[in-house]
Amino acid sequence: MAQQYEIPVGAQHISLLEPLHFKFTTENEKIVHTDANVYYVHRGIEKACCTKFKFRQVSFVVGRVCGLCSISHTTAYSQVAEKLLKIEIPKRAKYLRMLVIELDRIHSHLLCLSHVAENSGFEALFMKTMQYREFSMELLEAICGNRIQYDFSIVGGVARDLKPEVANQVLRRLDHFMPQLEELADIFRNNWTLSLKNKGVGAISRETALRLNVVGPFARAAGLAVDVRNETEDLLPWKEAGFEMVTETSGDVYARNMVRIRELYVSISIIRNIINGLPETPIVTETKAFPDGEAVVRLEAPRGELFYYAKGNKTQVLERLKIKAPTFSNVAAMVEAFRGNEYGSAPAIIASYDPCLSCTAR
Amino acid sequence: MNKIATSLDTVQEDIGRFYDPEQHHFMVMNAVDLGQQLEIQWFFSHYAPPYDTTTFFALASPDATIPSIRSIVASAWVAEAELVDLMDIRIEGSEKGFVLEPDFDSGPLRKNK
Repeated sequence: MAQQYEIPVGAQHISLLEPLHFKFTTENEKIVHTDANVYYVHRGIEKACCTKFKFRQVSFVVGRVCGLCSISHTTAYSQVAEKLLKIEIPKRAKYLRMLVIELDRIHSHLLCLSHVAENSGFEALFMKTMQYREFSMELLEAICGNRIQYDFSIVGGVARDLKPEVANQVLRRLDHFMPQLEELADIFRNNWTLSLKNKGVGAISRETALRLNVVGPFARAAGLAVDVRNETEDLLPWKEAGFEMVTETSGDVYARNMVRIRELYVSISIIRNIINGLPETPIVTETKAFPDGEAVVRLEAPRGELFYYAKGNKTQVLERLKIKAPTFSNVAAMVEAFRGNEYGSAPAIIASYDPCLSCTAR
Repeated sequence: MNKIATSLDTVQEDIGRFYDPEQHHFMVMNAVDLGQQLEIQWFFSHYAPPYDTTTFFALASPDATIPSIRSIVASAWVAEAELVDLMDIRIEGSEKGFVLEPDFDSGPLRKNK
């Protein structure tokens, strides 16, 4: 047996943007075993939501679980609270929620792609992708008032309506972004050196994705067609808005890039459909009820399935709130997908997981 | 949400009979502090229509040892390790120190903490 070395990576590391700790066991640069720890950023948000805040305030608290997918958390919480209150929200509010979720997916996928490029040693592509991503942040600010942590979804609907001039701005900026996306897609698909760094690297099979219950682009890149947007039409009408499933088969870093690139086109199509067919209804359903019983909600965040469980007791404060973030579901597969890869590929593999520890540890 | 009652004695058998990786997706494990007892929950969704959620639940005393389902659901070790830290319970094969630092005062989600 060759000499084994243990190499710690994180919680603070140049190739890790999240406080995650990996301990790689390597043999001749090949990773043979990985341990992971996620224990650095627990903030007690679930506890706070069940002790310090009233249920209507909780949507603003869970918006702070994550800066990248804030809208997914506020929407999932609002939906689970609406189930406990037994109310249906107006159709316009559903469409506006989907609009912001898809814009959020665009900025999040572009952020991930930029970091994969950076961790693959392609810094110019990192800068180009981040530059092109800026329009989505500006649109989110125009719609929600904030670039991140937008308190857009509230219990009963949404907090702000979409002004016609902002809707036109969204369509105009998407048109402007399309050639930029074509340029990025061409580089990520065809660039030779990037392919060398990404093809066949960090791969998992469809069977492994099934066995380890993988979610999000990580699963879809391995050929597992799992997307909550395909499954929860009762809460948000994704198929009506133009949702299409995107899958690849090779399950490697390259396939994850391709899934995210192709999902950008789907998101743009959904946003255009929403703006062109936005229903004319109120944006909030009012109620004076208190949450009662228990309910679960699933929502497709940029990284995959987000899960909320809530239990109410007919008071202002929830009995229990449980949040399961997509990265949490992928930890088991993340550890396994390193095995057999060169240690030098680890930074690109990590970036391609698109991990979010702020969500995971809460 | 389809809730199925089970017990700590039979949960492995019940979930083992139910779970098919081709059909079911294990989402997460949860616990609700009921005061004298804890309600332990295991959540599954279905890959095919109607895509509903199935929840197994069992009541347990706070000092009970919860059977692990990782021999049935390979990825369950993550959810089990989290629950050990956040609810201060014992689960077969799980140790403290995955979500919280090992010297952290465990069980922050228990009502008496």
